[in-house]
Amino acid sequence: MQKKTKTRLLFWAFTGPLVLAFFIVVALPFLWGIYYSFTEWNGIVKSQAEWVGFSNYLELFSDDEFSDAFWFTVRFSAVSVILINALGFLLALLVTQPLKSANTLRTVFFMPNLIGGLILGFIWQFIFIQVFSSLADALSLAFLHGWLATPETGFWGLVILMTWQMAGYVMVIYIAALQSIPGELLEAAEIDGSSIYTKTRYIIMPLVAPAFTINMFLMLSNCFKLYDQNLSLTNGGPFNSTQMLAMNIYNTAFKFDKMGEAQAKAVIFFIIVAFVSLVQVRYTKRREVEY
Amino acid sequence: MKKLLQAVLILAIAFVGAQSVFAQGQADISDQGKDIVEVDIFQFKVEFKDQFTALAEEYMEETEGVKLTIKTVGGGDDYGAALRSRFASGEEPAIFNVGGPQDVADWKDYLAPLNGLEVTEKAFSGVLSGVTMDGNVYGLPYNQEGYGLIYNKEIFNKAGIDPASITSYAALEKAVKKLDSMKDSLGIKAPIAFPVKETWVTGLHLSNAVLSQEFDNVNDAFNSDTVAFRYSEGLKKLVDLQNNYSVQPTLSLDYSQQVEQLFASGKVAIIQQGNWAYGSVAGVDEELAQNIGIVPLSVYKGVGDSIPVGVPMYWGVNKDLDEAVVEEAKKFLNWMYTSETGKRYVLEEFKFIPAYEGYDVSKISDPLARDILDFSSRGKTLPWVFMGYPTGWGMNVLGIDIQKYAAGNITWEELIQHSTEEWEDARK
Repeated sequence: MQKKTKTRLLFWAFTGPLVLAFFIVVALPFLWGIYYSFTEWNGIVKSQAEWVGFSNYLELFSDDEFSDAFWFTVRFSAVSVILINALGFLLALLVTQPLKSANTLRTVFFMPNLIGGLILGFIWQFIFIQVFSSLADALSLAFLHGWLATPETGFWGLVILMTWQMAGYVMVIYIAALQSIPGELLEAAEIDGSSIYTKTRYIIMPLVAPAFTINMFLMLSNCFKLYDQNLSLTNGGPFNSTQMLAMNIYNTAFKFDKMGEAQAKAVIFFIIVAFVSLVQVRYTKRREVEY
Repeated sequence: MKKLLQAVLILAIAFVGAQSVFAQGQADISDQGKDIVEVDIFQFKVEFKDQFTALAEEYMEETEGVKLTIKTVGGGDDYGAALRSRFASGEEPAIFNVGGPQDVADWKDYLAPLNGLEVTEKAFSGVLSGVTMDGNVYGLPYNQEGYGLIYNKEIFNKAGIDPASITSYAALEKAVKKLDSMKDSLGIKAPIAFPVKETWVTGLHLSNAVLSQEFDNVNDAFNSDTVAFRYSEGLKKLVDLQNNYSVQPTLSLDYSQQVEQLFASGKVAIIQQGNWAYGSVAGVDEELAQNIGIVPLSVYKGVGDSIPVGVPMYWGVNKDLDEAVVEEAKKFLNWMYTSETGKRYVLEEFKFIPAYEGYDVSKISDPLARDILDFSSRGKTLPWVFMGYPTGWGMNVLGIDIQKYAAGNITWEELIQHSTEEWEDARK
C-alpha cells in the first residue's frame, strides 16, 4: 500500500509539471480560442468580444478566399509529399551504396534542413526571380522568365523549395530503414539471380514501407501547416493564389482585424489536421502489427 | 518519438516561461528605492531607430528621473499584431503608434487626450483631423511625407522632357511614351518600374491619388458607407500606363527591385514612390540620388498638378498607466518636437519634413523633400485618405484586385464592382 502511494507520488511529481504546463500553454488557450470563434473581436483587450453564435462558421462557407487557400494547400501537400518522398528515397539509395563520398553526400543532402524556413524562402526567391531571369536571357529559355509572377510558377516554386528542404530529412529516416534490412535477404536474392530492379521492387521497398508511412504523414502534416516558407517565398502572391491555410488565418486575424472569424477558421483547420494525424496514427499502428 | 518531442517542447516552454518570470522579478527588485519613471516606447519606424535612440539618450541626460526604453517593430501591419500582443501580455507601452481614425476608434479606451500641449498647438492645421475625435486630439504626427512619380532628372534631360510640364494626365502619358520610344538611346530597360507585388503601392498610394479627389479628408473616407470610384477611369489609366510601360513581370516586382535595382541604377526613369525612398536610392548611388525629383500622379479628368502629402503615423500616449508615466510620456513628445535639440534631430538626423510650425525648413537638403515642400508651399497637395479605408481593404482587397487585373484574370469593371462590394460589406 505504501509502495503504491510512493509510486503514485513519484508519477505525479514527474508528470505533474508537464501536465500543468500543457494545460496552461496548450489546453487552456485552445478552449479559449473555441470561445472566441463564436465572437466578434478586434484583438484589443479592452474592447469587448461580442457573442455572435455560429455566424463566423457560416461565413466560412461563402468565403472564396478560404476555400481557395484550402484547395491550394491540399494540392500543394499532395504533390510535395510525393516528390519529397520519391527524392528522399532515391537519395537514401544513393548514399547507402559503397561510395567514398557517401558521408559527405549525406551531410550535403541534409544541410538545407538546417537553414530556417524564412531564410530559405528569401534565398529561393532570389534564385527564382534574379538567377532564373538571367539564365533565361543567357540561354534564351523562355520558360525561366517570370517565375513567381504567375499562380503556376508560384505553386511549383513552393513545391521545389519544400522538396529541396525536406528531401534530406526523409532521406535520413530511409537510410535507417535501409540499413536495417538483413544482408542475407539481399544476398540470397542475388544468388537467385535477381536484378537491381527486382531487388529494389520486391525486397527493399516492402521492407522500408514502415519508414515510408512515417515519412508520408510527417511531411503531410508539415506541408499542411506550412507558413514561413509560404510567407518569405511568395507571401501568397500573385493575387493570393498561393496563399495557404495558415497564412489565410493569420491575414484574417491581423490584416483585417477579424479575430473571431480567424479563430473559427483555425478551429476548422485544427479539425482537418487532427483528422489527418488520427488517420496517420491508426494506419501506422496497423503497419506495425504486420512486422 | 513524437511524445519525446512534445515533452522536450513543453520543457523548453516551461524553461522560457520560468526565465521570463525570473527576469521580471529581478527588474522589480532593481527598480525599488529609486524614483525613476520608466517610459516604454513601442514604435514602428525601423529606418530611424538609431537616430531616435540617440535622441532619447540626450533627453535622459538632460532630464532627471526618466528612463526611456525603445522597442521597434517594423513594417505596416505586423506592427498592429505586435502591439495587440504587447497589450494582451500586460506589458503595455507608454507611447505607441496609431495610424488614423480606425486606429483611434480601436484604441480609444487607451489613448490619453493630448490637447493643450505646446506641440499640439504647433501642429499644422489639418494634420490632426485624422486623430481628433469629439474634440480631443489623440495623436501627434511623426512627420509629413509625400509621394508621386519620382523621376531621374538626367534621363528626362536627355529625352528633352520638362518635368514642370507634367500637370495633366495627357502630358504624363506623352512623356512616358517619349521615354519608351527612346529606350535604347537612353540606355533604360523600360520607362517605369511598377511594383504590383507591393499592394501598398497600388492599393493604398495609387488609389489614394484618385480617391483623395472623391473624399475631402481621411474622416470623410472613414465615415463613408460606400466608395463611388468617381475617377475610376483615371485610376484605370494610371494602372495601365504604369503596368504597360514597366519592366516585366510586374506581378513579382517588389520594392527593392523597383527602387534599388532598377531606379537607383538608372535602368528606369520613373517610379511611383515617396520621399522615404531617398535613403534607399542614396544607399545605392549617392550622386544619382541628388539628381531626382517628384512629378504628380496626374489623374485623367481630375487633378493633375498636385501630389498627396500626409502623415504616415501618429504618436499616442497610453492613459492606462500611472499618472506619472503618462505625464512624462507627454513631456517627452512635447520636448522632441519643440526643444532646440529635438528640432535639430527632427530636421537633420531624422531627415523629417516637419508637421509642426517653428522649423527652418531651408535646412532640408534631400531633393525629394525639397520638391514636396515646394508643392506644399504652392498649395498643390492632396490629402492622404487611405487611413480611412476599411481595415485591410486597401492592400488586401483593392491591391489584390489590381494584381488580378494586371494578370488579366478580371476586367476593370469586375475590379470596381468587387472592391465596392467589399467596402460596403466592411462598413455594414
